Amino acid sequence: MKKQNSIFSLVLIGIFVLYMIIPIIATYMFSIATKWDVSILPEGYTLDWYQTAFDHPYFSITLTNSFIVSFSAVLAGLFFIVPTTYWVHTRVPSAKPLLDLLMILPFGIPAVVLALALIRVYNFQPVARSPFLLISGCVIFSMPFMYRPVSNSLMAIDVHTLTESALNLGANTFQILVRVIAPNIMPGILSGALLVFATVFAEFTLANLITGASFKTFPLLLVEFTKRDGRVAAALSVISFTVAWIASLAILWVSGRGHKPTEEVVAAH
Amino acid sequence: MAYLDLKNVSKLFGTVAAVKDFNLAVEKGEFVSLLGPSGCGKTTTLRMIAGFEMPDAGTITLAGDDITIVPPNKRGTGMVFQAYALFPNMTVRDNVAFGLEVTGHPKAEIDERVREMLAIVRLPDAGKRYPHQLSGGQQQRVALARALAIRPRVLLLDEPLSALDAVVRVALRGEIRKIQLDLGITTVYVTHDQEEALSISDHVVVMNQGLIEQLGTPEEIYRQPKTRFVAAFIGTANQLHGVVVDRAQVQFGTMMLRAPVPSNLSASHQVVVLVRPESVTIHSAAPSSNQQNVLEGTIQTITFLGPITRIAVDVSGTRVVADVTAANRAALSHNQPVWLAFDPEACQVMASQ
Repeated sequence: MKKQNSIFSLVLIGIFVLYMIIPIIATYMFSIATKWDVSILPEGYTLDWYQTAFDHPYFSITLTNSFIVSFSAVLAGLFFIVPTTYWVHTRVPSAKPLLDLLMILPFGIPAVVLALALIRVYNFQPVARSPFLLISGCVIFSMPFMYRPVSNSLMAIDVHTLTESALNLGANTFQILVRVIAPNIMPGILSGALLVFATVFAEFTLANLITGASFKTFPLLLVEFTKRDGRVAAALSVISFTVAWIASLAILWVSGRGHKPTEEVVAAH
Repeated sequence: MAYLDLKNVSKLFGTVAAVKDFNLAVEKGEFVSLLGPSGCGKTTTLRMIAGFEMPDAGTITLAGDDITIVPPNKRGTGMVFQAYALFPNMTVRDNVAFGLEVTGHPKAEIDERVREMLAIVRLPDAGKRYPHQLSGGQQQRVALARALAIRPRVLLLDEPLSALDAVVRVALRGEIRKIQLDLGITTVYVTHDQEEALSISDHVVVMNQGLIEQLGTPEEIYRQPKTRFVAAFIGTANQLHGVVVDRAQVQFGTMMLRAPVPSNLSASHQVVVLVRPESVTIHSAAPSSNQQNVLEGTIQTITFLGPITRIAVDVSGTRVVADVTAANRAALSHNQPVWLAFDPEACQVMASQ
């Protein structure tokens, strides 16, 4: 019975992995195929589509724009969501259910609705249709991804006692947050940052409706190419994946460095 | 004015008064314990001294400064928490240095102070280690070093030994007292453990339901409890209910007990006669001495407690306990008729309620 179960779960996991990985492999293959319409495998391989993508005048502009928007959203999360979450946990715990509810709202509002609402409400210069409005929209849209892991990390440590002992030793709120709280919830902050970065980097609807052609982001270029040449679009997708992976690896590397003591501890034991 | 002075301090949580009209004067260099059951307001009082709670009424002064509304990070109190509360992301050295670093002391001075503090708590080589690499007792020593490093005006300890096992607890409490005496630092210690409070304090404040039941030296608290609560909470006391006959006698059931009756209790007053179990001797034959109070009963239970054995005797419906040493215990058995004897001077008479 037990063996049957484990075979069943292996098969299930196998199907799931294939389901997840086949589109990625197919996209990757398509991006380096010369011609792939009648045969099972591509007829030949080339890097021409990458060349076309890189040579496109908008390539570096959209990539830069997407980085600007993603990093800004991450920074906004770090500077607003993290302190707010800490503040609610320590000073106004009664407001926590409200904040929890607030952080579910972005999931309930379709991006189209959010974008159109922002455009209508902020219909004045210099905010109207500006990159600033786009970034603000992305911050709203992505804040649950920062809030959840940070909130969970705060619940996992004894945030009250740590705060009180730091206060007792003469530290101010800023020192407590930066030197005591942040290092102890770093895994939560990092995974939040990673989720925000990846979500905002791939965001299409807000960018398309709020800034559109005036401040094109990478997903806009990608969608544009799907209408023109699927193979270049595939190459752009692969580049987009790669950026997301590099960002994840970078964050994991940074968090790994922050956790070095743990390894030493393991070695010591 | 005392060095640390709490005057008419009250604290409400909602409609519940955690601390009521509390007055306490602690002299410089003194070690004072706040002792009581959970919910008695002892921790709230300590937290008001540290500044984590604001009193609803009253004033707190420290070294002549009114600190009632001073924020906790400007008070110069050093606190040790029950749960250690060391910063897990920092080494022992950085934990101890933290208070000095955030207040901008020069590095050389910090290094020197950290060395000095770790030497005081006998962990001179632990500087590079992380809190989770240390035992509970070691962590609490680091917490003590960290609190002392800022040269606090008063040291506050909130049940610092509760999370430790018995052996470490006894060893560490001795060390805390020694360090406190060496440094001459004014200390307020919160505990629910009466043995702990009695063993290390200059003065003990017994608290119950937000009020001070009694304030005195450990000896006074133990030997002359002022209220029935103190008598019951500190150690074990036999409580014999009776009626005052005259200045020297109390009627207990059909028996007459000789005991010093305080002048505020007149004849026919309902009273309780308190006798500590170690003051009661047990005899298998009626003692001949007529200087002592003698009660006759049968042995209910015999409880071995290590150095002593506690014998519970049923004296016409009242349970009276006596502590005997191993040598005296041998002859006793369950249901055996015995005679209990105690001096009138060992008795303390107080009003029933």
